Amino acid sequence: MAPKYKLTYFDARGRGEPTRLIFAAAGVEFEDNRLTFEEWPAIKPTTPMGGLPLLEVDGVTLCQSLAIARFAARDVGLAGKSNLEQAQADMFVDEISELLPKMAGLFFEKDEAVKAEKQKEVEELIVKTYTILEKLSGSAGYLVGNRLLWCDLIFFNIASNVENLKPGTVQNYPKLAKSYENVKLNSRIAAYLAKRKETPF
Amino acid sequence: MPSYKLIYFETRGQAEPARLLFAAGGLQYDDVRLTREQWKELKPKTAMGNLPILEVDGTAICQSKAIARLIAKEVGMAGKTPLEQARADMIADTVDELSAPCLAFYILPDKNKAEVLKKEFVEKTLPPTVALFEKFASAEGYFVGNSLTWADVTFFAFMDWVITAFPGDHLKGYENLKKVMDNVSSNQGIVKYLEERPETPY
Repeated sequence: MAPKYKLTYFDARGRGEPTRLIFAAAGVEFEDNRLTFEEWPAIKPTTPMGGLPLLEVDGVTLCQSLAIARFAARDVGLAGKSNLEQAQADMFVDEISELLPKMAGLFFEKDEAVKAEKQKEVEELIVKTYTILEKLSGSAGYLVGNRLLWCDLIFFNIASNVENLKPGTVQNYPKLAKSYENVKLNSRIAAYLAKRKETPF
Repeated sequence: MPSYKLIYFETRGQAEPARLLFAAGGLQYDDVRLTREQWKELKPKTAMGNLPILEVDGTAICQSKAIARLIAKEVGMAGKTPLEQARADMIADTVDELSAPCLAFYILPDKNKAEVLKKEFVEKTLPPTVALFEKFASAEGYFVGNSLTWADVTFFAFMDWVITAFPGDHLKGYENLKKVMDNVSSNQGIVKYLEERPETPY
Protein backbone atom coordinates (compact mmCIF):
# COMPACT_ATOMS: atom_id res chain seq x y z
CA MET A 1 0.00 0.00 0.00
CA ALA A 2 1.40 3.41 -0.97
CA PRO A 3 2.38 5.78 1.86
CA LYS A 4 -0.31 8.27 2.87
CA TYR A 5 1.98 11.24 2.22
CA LYS A 6 4.06 12.30 -0.80
CA LEU A 7 6.54 15.11 -0.16
CA THR A 8 8.05 16.74 -3.24
CA TYR A 9 11.13 18.94 -2.93
CA PHE A 10 14.58 19.31 -4.45
CA ASP A 11 17.32 16.84 -3.64
CA ALA A 12 18.36 19.02 -0.71
CA ARG A 13 17.47 19.74 2.91
CA GLY A 14 16.31 23.35 2.47
CA ARG A 15 12.58 23.85 2.97
CA GLY A 16 11.78 20.14 2.72
CA GLU A 17 13.82 18.98 5.68
CA PRO A 18 11.44 20.17 8.43
CA THR A 19 8.72 17.81 7.20
CA ARG A 20 11.19 14.96 6.65
CA LEU A 21 12.37 15.34 10.26
CA ILE A 22 8.78 15.35 11.54
CA PHE A 23 7.91 12.13 9.72
CA ALA A 24 11.22 10.61 10.87
CA ALA A 25 10.59 11.51 14.51
CA ALA A 26 7.14 9.94 14.35
CA GLY A 27 8.40 6.85 12.52
CA VAL A 28 5.89 7.54 9.74
CA GLU A 29 6.58 6.41 6.18
CA PHE A 30 6.26 8.87 3.34
CA GLU A 31 7.25 9.10 -0.30
CA ASP A 32 10.31 11.37 -0.40
CA ASN A 33 10.07 12.66 -3.98
CA ARG A 34 13.26 14.57 -4.87
CA LEU A 35 13.39 16.60 -8.07
CA THR A 36 16.49 17.59 -9.98
CA PHE A 37 16.88 21.24 -10.95
CA GLU A 38 16.48 20.14 -14.59
CA GLU A 39 13.08 18.55 -13.91
CA TRP A 40 11.75 21.56 -12.00
CA PRO A 41 10.87 24.05 -14.81
CA ALA A 42 8.41 21.59 -16.39
CA ILE A 43 6.77 20.82 -13.04
CA LYS A 44 6.63 24.40 -11.74
CA PRO A 45 3.51 25.51 -13.69
CA THR A 46 1.61 22.49 -12.38
CA THR A 47 2.10 23.48 -8.74
CA PRO A 48 -0.41 25.49 -6.66
CA MET A 49 1.81 28.54 -6.17
CA GLY A 50 4.87 27.87 -8.32
CA GLY A 51 7.06 26.68 -5.46
CA LEU A 52 8.31 23.73 -3.45
CA PRO A 53 7.89 21.85 -1.19
CA LEU A 54 4.52 20.22 -1.88
CA LEU A 55 2.71 17.66 0.23
CA GLU A 56 0.12 15.45 -1.43
CA VAL A 57 -2.32 13.79 0.96
CA ASP A 58 -5.87 12.49 0.43
CA GLY A 59 -5.93 13.88 -3.09
CA VAL A 60 -5.07 17.41 -1.91
CA THR A 61 -1.80 19.21 -2.71
CA LEU A 62 -0.49 21.57 -0.04
CA CYS A 63 2.27 24.14 -0.49
CA GLN A 64 4.12 26.56 1.85
CA SER A 65 6.79 24.71 3.82
CA LEU A 66 5.55 25.61 7.31
CA ALA A 67 1.88 24.96 6.51
CA ILE A 68 3.01 21.52 5.33
CA ALA A 69 5.21 20.92 8.36
CA ARG A 70 2.48 22.01 10.77
CA PHE A 71 -0.05 19.74 9.05
CA ALA A 72 2.38 16.81 9.27
CA ALA A 73 3.15 17.62 12.91
CA ARG A 74 -0.53 17.71 13.78
CA ASP A 75 -1.20 14.47 11.93
CA VAL A 76 1.56 12.59 13.76
CA GLY A 77 0.93 14.13 17.18
CA LEU A 78 3.89 16.51 17.40
CA ALA A 79 2.04 19.83 17.23
CA GLY A 80 1.24 20.32 20.92
CA LYS A 81 -1.64 19.28 23.18
CA SER A 82 -3.75 22.39 23.61
CA ASN A 83 -4.40 25.42 21.39
CA LEU A 84 -2.09 27.40 23.68
CA GLU A 85 0.74 24.84 23.54
CA GLN A 86 0.34 24.71 19.75
CA ALA A 87 0.58 28.52 19.64
CA GLN A 88 3.77 28.40 21.71
CA ALA A 89 5.25 25.86 19.29
CA ASP A 90 4.14 28.02 16.34
CA MET A 91 5.81 31.02 17.97
CA PHE A 92 9.15 29.20 18.21
CA VAL A 93 8.93 28.01 14.63
CA ASP A 94 8.16 31.49 13.29
CA GLU A 95 10.84 33.13 15.44
CA ILE A 96 13.62 30.72 14.40
CA SER A 97 12.48 30.76 10.76
CA GLU A 98 13.25 34.48 10.57
CA LEU A 99 16.91 33.42 10.29
CA LEU A 100 16.31 31.52 7.06
CA PRO A 101 16.24 34.28 4.41
CA LYS A 102 19.40 35.93 5.79
CA MET A 103 21.23 32.60 6.06
CA ALA A 104 20.20 31.59 2.55
CA GLY A 105 21.36 35.00 1.28
CA LEU A 106 24.73 34.44 2.93
CA PHE A 107 25.08 30.88 1.65
CA PHE A 108 24.47 31.84 -1.96
CA GLU A 109 26.51 35.09 -1.94
CA LYS A 110 29.41 34.94 -4.39
CA ASP A 111 31.02 38.35 -3.83
CA GLU A 112 33.60 37.96 -1.04
CA ALA A 113 33.28 41.51 0.30
CA VAL A 114 29.49 41.35 0.38
CA LYS A 115 29.68 37.89 1.90
CA ALA A 116 31.80 39.16 4.80
CA GLU A 117 29.25 41.91 5.44
CA LYS A 118 26.36 39.43 5.29
CA GLN A 119 28.17 37.04 7.62
CA LYS A 120 28.42 39.81 10.23
CA GLU A 121 24.68 40.58 9.87
CA VAL A 122 23.75 36.91 10.16
CA GLU A 123 25.87 36.42 13.26
CA GLU A 124 24.22 39.41 14.92
CA LEU A 125 20.77 38.13 14.02
CA ILE A 126 21.65 34.71 15.41
CA VAL A 127 22.63 36.21 18.75
CA LYS A 128 19.47 38.33 18.83
CA THR A 129 17.22 35.38 17.94
CA TYR A 130 18.88 32.82 20.21
CA THR A 131 18.73 35.27 23.13
CA ILE A 132 14.97 35.64 22.65
CA LEU A 133 14.43 31.89 22.24
CA GLU A 134 16.49 31.11 25.34
CA LYS A 135 14.27 33.42 27.42
CA LEU A 136 11.07 31.88 26.01
CA SER A 137 12.21 28.28 26.25
CA GLY A 138 10.94 25.82 28.82
CA SER A 139 13.35 24.20 31.28
CA ALA A 140 12.41 20.56 30.83
CA GLY A 141 14.83 19.95 27.96
CA TYR A 142 12.36 20.95 25.28
CA LEU A 143 11.33 24.31 23.90
CA VAL A 144 7.69 23.90 24.95
CA GLY A 145 6.34 21.72 27.73
CA ASN A 146 7.97 18.46 28.60
CA ARG A 147 8.24 16.51 25.39
CA LEU A 148 9.64 16.77 21.88
CA LEU A 149 7.44 18.77 19.54
CA TRP A 150 7.88 19.90 15.95
CA CYS A 151 9.36 23.21 17.14
CA ASP A 152 12.32 21.31 18.62
CA LEU A 153 12.85 19.66 15.23
CA ILE A 154 12.60 22.97 13.36
CA PHE A 155 15.02 24.58 15.81
CA PHE A 156 17.42 21.62 15.44
CA ASN A 157 17.26 21.90 11.65
CA ILE A 158 18.17 25.57 11.55
CA ALA A 159 20.57 25.36 14.50
CA SER A 160 22.49 22.62 12.67
CA ASN A 161 23.12 25.07 9.84
CA VAL A 162 24.18 27.67 12.40
CA GLU A 163 26.62 25.16 13.89
CA ASN A 164 28.10 24.65 10.43
CA LEU A 165 28.54 28.41 10.16
CA LYS A 166 29.92 28.92 13.67
CA PRO A 167 30.50 25.70 15.66
CA GLY A 168 29.68 25.84 19.35
CA THR A 169 27.05 28.59 19.06
CA VAL A 170 24.16 26.68 20.63
CA GLN A 171 26.26 25.72 23.69
CA ASN A 172 26.13 29.37 24.81
CA TYR A 173 22.38 28.99 25.35
CA PRO A 174 21.78 26.25 27.97
CA LYS A 175 18.08 25.60 27.39
CA LEU A 176 18.40 25.66 23.60
CA ALA A 177 21.41 23.37 23.85
CA LYS A 178 19.31 20.86 25.84
CA SER A 179 16.57 20.86 23.16
CA TYR A 180 19.20 20.52 20.44
CA GLU A 181 20.86 17.54 22.18
CA ASN A 182 17.53 15.86 22.91
CA VAL A 183 16.63 15.95 19.23
CA LYS A 184 20.07 14.60 18.28
CA LEU A 185 19.74 11.80 20.85
CA ASN A 186 16.18 10.87 19.88
CA SER A 187 16.64 7.32 18.57
CA ARG A 188 14.52 7.79 15.45
CA ILE A 189 16.17 11.10 14.57
CA ALA A 190 19.64 9.66 15.25
CA ALA A 191 18.88 6.78 12.88
CA TYR A 192 17.51 9.19 10.26
CA LEU A 193 20.55 11.45 10.48
CA ALA A 194 22.93 8.50 10.26
CA LYS A 195 21.60 7.48 6.88
CA ARG A 196 20.58 10.93 5.58
CA LYS A 197 22.19 11.88 2.28
CA GLU A 198 24.76 14.69 2.53
CA THR A 199 23.68 17.72 0.53
CA PRO A 200 25.28 21.18 0.38
CA PHE A 201 22.12 22.84 1.73
CA MET B 1 -12.81 31.58 29.98
CA PRO B 2 -9.18 32.73 29.53
CA SER B 3 -8.30 36.40 29.79
CA TYR B 4 -6.72 37.92 26.69
CA LYS B 5 -4.46 40.95 26.41
CA LEU B 6 -3.19 42.00 22.99
CA ILE B 7 -0.26 44.40 23.08
CA TYR B 8 0.83 46.35 20.02
CA PHE B 9 1.44 49.86 18.77
CA GLU B 10 -1.40 52.24 18.06
CA THR B 11 -1.41 51.22 14.38
CA ARG B 12 -3.09 48.35 12.51
CA GLY B 13 0.08 46.67 11.25
CA GLN B 14 0.78 43.14 12.46
CA ALA B 15 -1.97 43.17 15.08
CA GLU B 16 -4.97 43.98 12.95
CA PRO B 17 -5.80 40.39 11.93
CA ALA B 18 -5.91 39.48 15.63
CA ARG B 19 -8.18 42.45 16.45
CA LEU B 20 -10.50 41.57 13.56
CA LEU B 21 -10.66 37.94 14.70
CA PHE B 22 -11.49 38.90 18.29
CA ALA B 23 -14.25 41.12 16.85
CA ALA B 24 -15.59 38.43 14.52
CA GLY B 25 -15.66 35.90 17.33
CA GLY B 26 -17.18 38.28 19.85
CA LEU B 27 -14.32 37.46 22.21
CA GLN B 28 -13.45 40.00 24.92
CA TYR B 29 -9.86 41.18 25.09
CA ASP B 30 -7.76 44.04 26.36
CA ASP B 31 -6.64 45.96 23.23
CA VAL B 32 -3.47 47.58 24.55
CA ARG B 33 -2.06 50.19 22.17
CA LEU B 34 1.37 51.53 23.09
CA THR B 35 3.09 54.73 22.05
CA ARG B 36 6.72 54.35 20.93
CA GLU B 37 7.85 55.73 24.32
CA GLN B 38 5.72 53.24 26.23
CA TRP B 39 7.12 50.36 24.16
CA LYS B 40 10.68 51.55 24.74
CA GLU B 41 10.04 51.24 28.47
CA LEU B 42 8.26 47.89 28.27
CA LYS B 43 10.50 46.19 25.71
CA PRO B 44 13.37 45.13 28.02
CA LYS B 45 10.83 43.66 30.43
CA THR B 46 9.46 41.28 27.76
CA ALA B 47 11.08 37.99 26.85
CA MET B 48 10.61 38.41 23.13
CA GLY B 49 11.38 42.12 22.72
CA ASN B 50 8.97 42.43 19.80
CA LEU B 51 5.29 43.13 19.15
CA PRO B 52 2.53 42.01 18.87
CA ILE B 53 2.28 40.01 22.08
CA LEU B 54 -0.80 38.11 23.13
CA GLU B 55 -1.07 37.27 26.82
CA VAL B 56 -3.41 34.37 27.54
CA ASP B 57 -3.96 34.10 31.29
CA GLY B 58 -0.47 35.56 31.64
CA THR B 59 1.28 33.25 29.13
CA ALA B 60 2.88 35.45 26.48
CA ILE B 61 2.80 34.50 22.82
CA CYS B 62 4.58 36.48 20.11
CA GLN B 63 4.65 36.19 16.29
CA SER B 64 1.58 37.65 14.61
CA LYS B 65 0.54 34.49 12.75
CA ALA B 66 0.89 32.26 15.83
CA ILE B 67 -1.33 34.77 17.64
CA ALA B 68 -3.91 35.02 14.85
CA ARG B 69 -4.08 31.26 14.45
CA LEU B 70 -4.65 30.78 18.18
CA ILE B 71 -7.51 33.30 18.28
CA ALA B 72 -8.95 31.75 15.11
CA LYS B 73 -8.99 28.34 16.79
CA GLU B 74 -10.66 29.79 19.89
CA VAL B 75 -13.44 31.41 17.81
CA GLY B 76 -13.90 28.55 15.33
CA MET B 77 -12.35 30.33 12.36
CA ALA B 78 -9.25 28.19 11.83
CA GLY B 79 -10.75 25.68 9.37
CA LYS B 80 -12.94 22.68 10.13
CA THR B 81 -10.52 19.86 9.30
CA PRO B 82 -6.72 19.50 9.41
CA LEU B 83 -6.59 19.94 5.63
CA GLU B 84 -8.73 23.08 5.84
CA GLN B 85 -6.47 24.38 8.58
CA ALA B 86 -3.43 23.70 6.38
CA ARG B 87 -5.11 25.59 3.54
CA ALA B 88 -5.73 28.56 5.83
CA ASP B 89 -2.07 28.43 6.89
CA MET B 90 -0.99 28.39 3.23
CA ILE B 91 -2.97 31.54 2.46
CA ALA B 92 -1.79 33.35 5.59
CA ASP B 93 1.83 32.46 4.83
CA THR B 94 1.47 33.82 1.29
CA VAL B 95 -0.02 37.09 2.54
CA ASP B 96 2.85 37.32 5.01
CA GLU B 97 5.46 36.79 2.28
CA LEU B 98 3.87 39.58 0.30
CA SER B 99 3.60 42.01 3.21
CA ALA B 100 6.91 41.36 5.00
CA PRO B 101 9.06 43.60 2.76
CA CYS B 102 6.54 46.46 3.09
CA LEU B 103 7.75 47.53 6.53
CA ALA B 104 10.84 48.90 4.78
CA PHE B 105 8.65 51.56 3.11
CA TYR B 106 8.21 53.18 6.52
CA ILE B 107 11.52 52.57 8.24
CA LEU B 108 14.17 52.99 5.55
CA PRO B 109 16.19 56.14 6.28
CA ASP B 110 16.78 56.62 2.54
CA LYS B 111 13.39 57.97 1.48
CA ASN B 112 14.27 57.87 -2.22
CA LYS B 113 15.03 54.17 -1.96
CA ALA B 114 11.73 53.69 -0.12
CA GLU B 115 9.86 55.31 -3.02
CA VAL B 116 11.59 53.00 -5.49
CA LEU B 117 10.61 49.97 -3.41
CA LYS B 118 7.02 51.19 -3.11
CA LYS B 119 6.75 51.62 -6.88
CA GLU B 120 8.20 48.15 -7.46
CA PHE B 121 5.80 46.64 -4.97
CA VAL B 122 2.61 48.14 -6.34
CA GLU B 123 3.55 47.73 -10.02
CA LYS B 124 5.50 44.46 -10.11
CA THR B 125 4.96 42.41 -6.96
CA LEU B 126 1.34 42.99 -6.00
CA PRO B 127 -0.54 42.37 -9.29
CA PRO B 128 0.60 38.79 -10.01
CA THR B 129 0.10 37.80 -6.37
CA VAL B 130 -3.43 39.21 -6.39
CA ALA B 131 -4.08 37.15 -9.54
CA LEU B 132 -2.83 34.09 -7.68
CA PHE B 133 -5.05 34.79 -4.67
CA GLU B 134 -8.09 35.03 -6.96
CA LYS B 135 -7.57 31.38 -7.92
CA PHE B 136 -7.59 30.33 -4.28
CA ALA B 137 -10.75 32.22 -3.35
CA SER B 138 -14.10 30.55 -4.04
CA ALA B 139 -16.88 32.23 -6.01
CA GLU B 140 -18.70 32.56 -2.67
CA GLY B 141 -15.78 34.59 -1.35
CA TYR B 142 -13.93 32.21 0.98
CA PHE B 143 -10.36 30.96 0.84
CA VAL B 144 -11.21 27.90 2.89
CA GLY B 145 -14.38 25.85 2.77
CA ASN B 146 -17.61 27.81 2.79
CA SER B 147 -17.26 30.00 5.84
CA LEU B 148 -15.09 32.84 7.11
CA THR B 149 -11.64 31.83 8.36
CA TRP B 150 -8.58 33.71 9.49
CA ALA B 151 -7.26 33.32 5.91
CA ASP B 152 -9.99 35.69 4.68
CA VAL B 153 -9.42 38.04 7.62
CA THR B 154 -5.65 38.10 7.06
CA PHE B 155 -6.14 38.90 3.37
CA PHE B 156 -8.65 41.61 4.28
CA ALA B 157 -6.27 43.25 6.78
CA PHE B 158 -3.51 43.26 4.19
CA MET B 159 -5.64 44.78 1.40
CA ASP B 160 -7.02 47.24 3.96
CA TRP B 161 -3.44 48.48 4.38
CA VAL B 162 -2.69 48.36 0.63
CA ILE B 163 -5.63 50.65 -0.09
CA THR B 164 -4.36 53.11 2.56
CA ALA B 165 -0.84 53.15 1.14
CA PHE B 166 -1.74 52.88 -2.53
CA PRO B 167 -5.24 54.23 -3.16
CA GLY B 168 -6.88 52.51 -6.12
CA ASP B 169 -8.91 49.49 -7.16
CA HIS B 170 -6.31 46.73 -6.89
CA LEU B 171 -9.02 44.06 -7.00
CA LYS B 172 -10.54 45.26 -10.26
CA GLY B 173 -11.78 42.23 -12.19
CA TYR B 174 -11.16 39.87 -9.27
CA GLU B 175 -14.71 39.01 -8.29
CA ASN B 176 -13.85 36.21 -5.86
CA LEU B 177 -11.50 38.46 -3.90
CA LYS B 178 -14.04 41.29 -3.83
CA LYS B 179 -16.48 38.79 -2.29
CA VAL B 180 -13.85 37.83 0.31
CA MET B 181 -13.49 41.51 1.24
CA ASP B 182 -17.29 41.86 1.46
CA ASN B 183 -17.67 38.72 3.55
CA VAL B 184 -15.11 39.99 6.05
CA SER B 185 -16.31 43.59 6.21
CA SER B 186 -19.96 42.58 6.58
CA ASN B 187 -19.34 40.17 9.47
CA GLN B 188 -21.43 41.49 12.35
CA GLY B 189 -18.61 41.78 14.86
CA ILE B 190 -16.22 43.25 12.32
CA VAL B 191 -18.72 45.89 11.13
CA LYS B 192 -18.86 47.26 14.66
CA TYR B 193 -15.10 47.08 15.12
CA LEU B 194 -14.42 48.88 11.82
CA GLU B 195 -16.81 51.67 12.81
CA GLU B 196 -15.15 52.14 16.19
CA ARG B 197 -11.47 51.55 15.53
CA PRO B 198 -9.14 54.56 15.52
CA GLU B 199 -7.92 55.93 12.17
CA THR B 200 -4.28 55.02 11.70
CA PRO B 201 -1.82 55.71 8.87
CA TYR B 202 -1.01 51.99 8.55
